[in-house]
Amino acid sequence: MKLAKVWAFAIYEVRRAAARKKVLALVVLTILLDTVPYYLLRTSRLSLLPVSDYPYLWVAGVFILQGFFFPFIALLIAAGSMSEEYEQGTAEVLLSKPVSRDEFLLGKFLGGLLLMAVVILLNSVLSVSAATFAFGPQLSLQVLPTVVLAQVYSSLVFLSVAFLSGELIRRSSLSYVTASAVFLTSYIVGIYLRFIFQLTGDALYQSASNYLPSTPVSALPLLAGQPQLPTAALSLLQAVGVGSDEKSIVFSVVLIAGYAICALVIARTYFNRVDVSKKVT
Amino acid sequence: MAPEMEELVSFKGVVKDYGSKVIGPLTFSVGRGEILGLLGPNGAGKSTSIRLMLGLMRPTSGEVRLRGLDPVRSHQKALEEVGYSPELPNLQTFLTPTELLKLVGRELSIREADIREQIPKLLETIGIFAYSDTKIGKLSKGMVQRLSVAQAMMGSPTLLILDEPMIGIDPAGVVHFRDLFREFLANGGTIIMSSHIMSEVESLCSSVMLIHSGRVVYRGAIKEFIEASLNARSVHLELGKHSKELLGRLRQIPGVQGVTETPKGVDIALEKGRDLRGEISKTVVQSGVDLLSISYSRSEFDDAYVSATRGPVD
Repeated sequence: MKLAKVWAFAIYEVRRAAARKKVLALVVLTILLDTVPYYLLRTSRLSLLPVSDYPYLWVAGVFILQGFFFPFIALLIAAGSMSEEYEQGTAEVLLSKPVSRDEFLLGKFLGGLLLMAVVILLNSVLSVSAATFAFGPQLSLQVLPTVVLAQVYSSLVFLSVAFLSGELIRRSSLSYVTASAVFLTSYIVGIYLRFIFQLTGDALYQSASNYLPSTPVSALPLLAGQPQLPTAALSLLQAVGVGSDEKSIVFSVVLIAGYAICALVIARTYFNRVDVSKKVT
Repeated sequence: MAPEMEELVSFKGVVKDYGSKVIGPLTFSVGRGEILGLLGPNGAGKSTSIRLMLGLMRPTSGEVRLRGLDPVRSHQKALEEVGYSPELPNLQTFLTPTELLKLVGRELSIREADIREQIPKLLETIGIFAYSDTKIGKLSKGMVQRLSVAQAMMGSPTLLILDEPMIGIDPAGVVHFRDLFREFLANGGTIIMSSHIMSEVESLCSSVMLIHSGRVVYRGAIKEFIEASLNARSVHLELGKHSKELLGRLRQIPGVQGVTETPKGVDIALEKGRDLRGEISKTVVQSGVDLLSISYSRSEFDDAYVSATRGPVD
């Protein structure tokens, strides 16, 4: 496998995904979600928020999108990654060159991950900038690289699920719907299981919830950032609904790797064994 | 293919079963230096053959070899020095021609400096240099077709596989491409070209292969193909005012198989190997009718193709 070819496909994938209006719309939405709330909070002259919380308001913007919004961006980026190449007939030209299917597949996946990383980084930079602009200097920012890294790593779950869905189904809309259904089911079942746990106290429900694919996506960045964040910042996170029952970083890391590796291995096996589809007309 | 020629492509009993349709068994080979015209009606199996050659699909049974290698298992090695332009040039609309050729250059592991040097030359050669930095989505169909051929020619391939390369190209472009392909051949290249434009195949190709209903029904020189397949020729007449009686007289000429009146004139089907244009002209003139024009309705090659693809394969 030649890394230069993998990189060429990765850059190509970033260009391809970024050219799609749906992805661009979500990036614009990310920017709005990161800036408008701070502006509104500032102009409404907060009376309920203690001044001592002001230096930690950046955490709300950085963490609030990770559980629900980031997975959707990941789904949008990855569900079309392979399927649109088949739909538009572009896979045929790219794969008629002396490249291995592994180089193509890996490059495409890494390109999606790269774009996702850019979106996550943009979210952090905008949140910190907006919070600084609205409420003055922000503190405990040394934790930010760890959190961003954890968020990028967490995005692997739904990037790989959607990537697999796109390769298996080879229709962009259907693969997006399928991958979204996986995410939403996991998210809703997780809420139910935690609710039942609170009612019954039976730890089985909590454990089951922890194994769902959406759980480590929310949990890992929080677990990674928590030890370095002061109580004021953690209280703020609790107030905006960012929290997790999962306590083990290792468990989350392994679970994310497990989901991502399984999905990618299935996608690779299928891609290597099945004909390159002709353009869908 | 001449026996001493090095085989670049070989199919041995290749079958592709789509479930609803079976292509094959296909057995043929293409030698270095050939320019082979791939002919056949729509759905006959031309594109399937090309996709099998390129390793884009696996055969259900049989053996495909490209440059002596299995194009699926040894994809990278087999596809070195092979350029492919698909039937529908579905190129990335969000890229510019320069960006697309850069990507292709990287796929071919060409050094960056060489890519930068090669791209303007190639775009110039293919006639779209002025649109180097225009998004492909904004180019005309003909320009996209030209770009498709350009990407196939990137990296100095020795074998070009072109699926309908002249579709959408203006007449000047067709002449330009013809010269370009001839130059490619003169430099030792090999071309496999699928086309429905018979005149193009006739003027460019040294040999043809006709695929009909998933089978190879002819493989060899064009001249021999015409001799083997031409069953009947058709002559077209443009006449002045005439009666039904003339048509009856024309039917009575020995060797005439049929006479049909159309809004544009009269079509006369002739027996194989008979040139009756002199007899026909004489009959018309003797009847006192003005003979405005007389010519073969189609070229011999066209007629041979029509004969060869009429009816089911044995």
